[in-house]
Amino acid sequence: MSPAPNRPLTVLTVCGVGMGSSLILKMNAEKALASLGVEAKVEHTDVSSARGMKADVAIAQGLHADDLGSVAPVVLAISNFMDVEGLRRQLEEALREQGWLS
Amino acid sequence: MTEPVIDAIVDVRADDWRGAVHAACAPLVGVGALEPRYPERCIAIAEDHGPYMVLAPGIALAHARPEDGALRLCLAAAVLAAPVEFGHDQNDPVDVVLAFASPDDAAHLVLLRNLAEHLLAGLADQLRLAPDRATAVRALSAVR
Repeated sequence: MSPAPNRPLTVLTVCGVGMGSSLILKMNAEKALASLGVEAKVEHTDVSSARGMKADVAIAQGLHADDLGSVAPVVLAISNFMDVEGLRRQLEEALREQGWLS
Repeated sequence: MTEPVIDAIVDVRADDWRGAVHAACAPLVGVGALEPRYPERCIAIAEDHGPYMVLAPGIALAHARPEDGALRLCLAAAVLAAPVEFGHDQNDPVDVVLAFASPDDAAHLVLLRNLAEHLLAGLADQLRLAPDRATAVRALSAVR
């Protein structure tokens, strides 16, 4: 299921630098979304660039999550980058709330 | 892919998180893979934005932008003798500090993907348990 028919979910992973943490988050998000069976296009960027972008879901460290309210209707704050299962649970809950996952 | 510069040091004494970041970058600065200003930039970013480099309980990854003095693709680890606080609300204290840098926006993609996989598979504990520097370097070199 995706937010609109025939369109993959758009996901933006964000960190302060746009080089490291956001890329690890992107990999984890791709794994989590694949295990949920959600077709998605995941991109990573830094927090300044992210402010000018739009997505269905933004994923960032807690310290950036407050900056991303205008970027996506769903903003997930991550504290442990090694916890892919936790990210899967957060995504699943948020996507169900939005009606994007049945 | 460009061969990364990889090094690791163990039983590192650091007074605080800034000292730990400098320690992790020091072997890379020493061989000319990083300019001395690179760790300063990592610290400045954390002072501006908060402890962005703390990825998981006990684990930090110091990194900045290519233009911040990254001369080579490189990765290093400092295993601390005593953990330090980064000011992270959930993942403090930290005793494994990694540092990585990429000379451009693309050179690091494979290295970082491999690093993430190895961290998920227990790399931080391998580094913590390494009895000496050579063992730690071997463990981290598996990432390349």
